[in-house]
Amino acid sequence: MKNKGLLIGCGVGAVLVVIIIGIVMWGVGIYNDLVRIDESVTQSWSQVENQYQRRFDLIPNLVNTVKGVAEFEKETFTAVTEARSKVGQINAGEVLNDPAKFEQFQAAQGELSSALSRLMVVVENYPQLKANENFLQLQAQLEGTENRISVERMKFTQRVQEYNTRIRQFPANIIAGVAGFTVKPNFSAQPGADQAPKVEF
Amino acid sequence: MRFILLILSIGILSAQPEFPVLQKYANDFTGTISSSNLNSFENQLKRFDDTTSNQIVFLMNSSMDGYPIEMYTYEVASKNKIGSKENNNGVLFYVAKNDRKMRIEVGYGLEGALPDALASSIIRNDVAPYFKRDNYAAGVQAGINSIISATKGEYKREDRQSDDDESGGAFWIYLIFLLIFFIFGKGNRGGLLGAVILGNTLGGGRSSGGFSSGGFGGFTGGGGSFGGGGASGGW
Repeated sequence: MKNKGLLIGCGVGAVLVVIIIGIVMWGVGIYNDLVRIDESVTQSWSQVENQYQRRFDLIPNLVNTVKGVAEFEKETFTAVTEARSKVGQINAGEVLNDPAKFEQFQAAQGELSSALSRLMVVVENYPQLKANENFLQLQAQLEGTENRISVERMKFTQRVQEYNTRIRQFPANIIAGVAGFTVKPNFSAQPGADQAPKVEF
Repeated sequence: MRFILLILSIGILSAQPEFPVLQKYANDFTGTISSSNLNSFENQLKRFDDTTSNQIVFLMNSSMDGYPIEMYTYEVASKNKIGSKENNNGVLFYVAKNDRKMRIEVGYGLEGALPDALASSIIRNDVAPYFKRDNYAAGVQAGINSIISATKGEYKREDRQSDDDESGGAFWIYLIFLLIFFIFGKGNRGGLLGAVILGNTLGGGRSSGGFSSGGFGGFTGGGGSFGGGGASGGW
């Protein structure tokens, strides 16, 4: 009689242990998956950052080349330089986990984009520049960089969508909550298109 | 209501152009370039792939139907997976004849060897002058030559062959082991388990161990990815 009870107790215990091990393994699996997706978001964000940095570094050279020929367009240069310095003040490393800073980053980059595109429109009025190989190469670099930015933003947007969906879906959201995975900010469809860029003269 | 939504969504889907699936290194869907020229481009590009593993693909069609060229070439190059997976060393040289636009789309791994400024210069100084005189074959040849000379020092093909052999060998040893297990497995259980694993191995082996690109004629993408590098131009 006693022996039988012990046996049943042991059996139940063993089953419980197996279930607990199963649950833990399952949780670890989900957690590792979340870490993987989180890492891919961070990685694609650093690609976005790289391309914005590349544009940032390109601007002084471009402005100097254009300045020599189109010296009457002071306001356009000032707008570009001011927008650039605003971008420079943001520490891009902290942006990804802070929605307010992300918003700020996006607005500043959007302002720089529109200042730059105005500069490139103004430049159309100077045929000398169109024949200047140095300028044409800088223009190609700027276009290439803008294009890279949009490609990397697109990839980043997809990764963040995948991540945000994953951490809010049912079983994963429990693990995400316990382990502190939070929703990440994403780009809105068009940078700075929702608000007219402010330019101070 | 649902029906209207369905029709709308089909409309949106078909607004995207169809991106061509490329089976050759040199593709002209407009019939502009003579087949002997096209064949010589094909051989030149295939040889370049065989020796360097860089995949350069030329594509000419009539129009992008209003799609922006940067998005178009990014999609074509990515969907066809030009370049190898390890090195991302693919280049797409694209010409939209009736749009009078062209672009050199450069994979991640060749952005150093073929930067935007150089790609732009190839388009403006090497290719466009010929295109302006309606000499398309000579323009394409000039473009291909310039892209090849910019990228030829970047990678060498040597690893792929041995890599394939290695994984292929492991696969066969595994298969023989499983066969033995299958034949001498005790009773139904062992046999069934063996059969299941054997089936899986055969199925999986076919897709992973198999015949990668560079084999017999034609172009097969190697899994390269793109980040929007390159330059566009017109004539």
